[in-house]
Amino acid sequence: MIKRLILDVAYFLNASKAYQAKKLFIYNILENDKNKYKKYIDILMISLIFISVSVLIREVKFHVNDYLLFFSNYVISIIFFVEYMLRLWVSSSVSAIIVAQSEHDTFLSRDIRLLKAFREVFNVKMKYMLSIRAIIDLLAVLPFFHELRLLRTFILFRIFKLFRYAKSFQTFSGVLATKKFEFITLAMFASIVIFVSSVLIYVMEANNPNSPINTLFEAVYWSIVTISTVGYGDVTPVTTEGRFVAMVVITSGIAVLAFTTSLVVSAFTEKLDEIKEVKSIEDITKLQNYYLICGYESIAKELARKLKKSTHEIIVLDSDQTRVQSAKSDGFIAMNYSSGSVESYKKLNIDIKKEVKAVLCLREDDIENVYTALTIRSMDKDVFVLSLLMKDSNRKKLEFAGVNHIVYPQELIGLITKELVGQPAAFEVIHQLRSEYTNVDIDEIALTTRIVENFPTIGSLGNKKYKVIVLGVFKGDSDKFYFNPIDSTLLENGDYLLAVGYKIFISEFEKSLHIKAKNG
Amino acid sequence: MANTTALIFGLNKYALEIQTNVKAKYDRVKIYALDGQEISGQSVECELFDLSDEWSEIEKDIEVENSIAFCALEDSAENIFLTISLRAHFEELIIIAIASNNESANKLKMAGANKVIPLVETTADIISNVLEKPISNKVLHSILYEESALKIEQVKITNAEYFKDQPISDIDWRRYKRIVILSVMYEDMSHEFIYASKLKKYIINDGDILVVVGFQRDIEDFKKLIGSN
Repeated sequence: MIKRLILDVAYFLNASKAYQAKKLFIYNILENDKNKYKKYIDILMISLIFISVSVLIREVKFHVNDYLLFFSNYVISIIFFVEYMLRLWVSSSVSAIIVAQSEHDTFLSRDIRLLKAFREVFNVKMKYMLSIRAIIDLLAVLPFFHELRLLRTFILFRIFKLFRYAKSFQTFSGVLATKKFEFITLAMFASIVIFVSSVLIYVMEANNPNSPINTLFEAVYWSIVTISTVGYGDVTPVTTEGRFVAMVVITSGIAVLAFTTSLVVSAFTEKLDEIKEVKSIEDITKLQNYYLICGYESIAKELARKLKKSTHEIIVLDSDQTRVQSAKSDGFIAMNYSSGSVESYKKLNIDIKKEVKAVLCLREDDIENVYTALTIRSMDKDVFVLSLLMKDSNRKKLEFAGVNHIVYPQELIGLITKELVGQPAAFEVIHQLRSEYTNVDIDEIALTTRIVENFPTIGSLGNKKYKVIVLGVFKGDSDKFYFNPIDSTLLENGDYLLAVGYKIFISEFEKSLHIKAKNG
Repeated sequence: MANTTALIFGLNKYALEIQTNVKAKYDRVKIYALDGQEISGQSVECELFDLSDEWSEIEKDIEVENSIAFCALEDSAENIFLTISLRAHFEELIIIAIASNNESANKLKMAGANKVIPLVETTADIISNVLEKPISNKVLHSILYEESALKIEQVKITNAEYFKDQPISDIDWRRYKRIVILSVMYEDMSHEFIYASKLKKYIINDGDILVVVGFQRDIEDFKKLIGSN
């Protein structure tokens, strides 16, 4: 009966969308760096840590307000306890383990062994609870029992919780961990020197009435102070033999210090590129709605500059380190990854569907562009892909690879030349409208429901007042452009006005549409 | 009858594309290659030239005032040298040069080119327009380059009296014969946007050129009204 009930609850929770969504939400705000709320939770926790440590420091010599003490001892402890329990909850799924065991046993046509499932649950939860981070989290809760004076000092464990929230601490410990073997060797060497020198100095000095070293503890203290090159001078050897030992320890201390420094420096030097890459990947994961430029050659360089000017986010992928460096020095997030490999996008946590506005295949090499386009299409069918074409014979291949828009510079030159020799003035006008270096512009103004309610027809727009020409209306639903429509033409939500005029006047005109809409 | 000639310097993909697009406009299109090796294996007719400032052969062969030169050498330095050589020798020749980037474009302008097409910037402009202004890009592209019903044309005014000495700002262009006037071009080929403050009190004269957008038939009707040829 109980077994049945447990299984029903496990299956229910495992299948419940509402329960899983809540659990995922909690997981995201606690553990997922990409979650937009996580940083606020982190900031709250860090603030709580500093408050409780400040209270502890203040309490040493002064009276602390009772409410503040209550807040520090109980409220913060309860918040940390709730956090601890939530982390324990999301660390693994109990229901999933029970369901998996049930499915496994049912498949093998035998009795469902709930006990085995519970053992598994116990193991995974204990594994989490015994992790360093979880232990620190638990110790940080202990000041709740502050009546026990010893437990009050556990507030200091809250400081260690900072490791969880501050990424730089994790990076620092991660870098040092790469030199684990060297640090252990160094620690062994230092321990042996400390042990031997402590014993020696004790033997040499302990029986001398003028010597301040009378106990083994004092000898160890002297050794550590000396080997660390701190040398307080409060305890010094007085015998010749003791001073000889001191010389050996001082020399060893220099070696230990130099070795430690070089270890830390070399660990960081070796990991510097990796740290930078991790940082760049973190930056990428924070971005939304960006252009992905694959290949950073001359056209890509110029385009990236233009897009950046329009405050668009850009990520550059290129397999050539020199070009990646060039993109970085131009101020872009650039990664030395092949744009033609699915693995690259996985490593960089790039979600093409959700995050990428358009993929721009801008290598001046058709083979590379076809390869990239196919890779992108294998991951997402819908994202807009634009590609350069260097040889017209490869056009079909790019189309077949799923490129939405092909730009063929050679053809552009031909078309421009044709127009330039045929109608130079007309060409100049259009060129000015397209160029970023002129004051005259052509802009697309999207019409919202509110604008349309206030300006139902072309005649009601009042564009002439703003010295703006409405070249036409693009009807989104029919995908048709209506050139120079008559005044009575009805405007609809989703339409676009093509406005020609001085940039500043177009901006004023657009503002007027929105202001009226707001007032309306 | 004027004998119009297009001179294309350089034998590369851009030169061939230019040849394809201008051959209908000019009586003759001549391609000049700098390197003999470039010519071998090419299906188009072309002649050799060098940068030694010897232009007498070409000068004899063309009417400079009815000709146009396209400088499309791949090497930027050579292209600039060619442009400056042509300008030094042919003051009246219209020179259009292809530049790899803005830096070369500036130098080519200084060397005397009438018009420079910076390849990288132009391509980047087009891509930027495709991404940022897809609708306007589509419309402008079809007006300029495709067989679209909508056209952009230069209309020369020979019957300015039609406007009855009205200042340009008082004319309701938007409703004018179902065409849209974008700019006014003066005799010196400089032009101003129709709503430019400079044009506020300007009265249209014979010889001015209007850049208009509209359907072919409406443009033709407009031309008849203002006496354009």
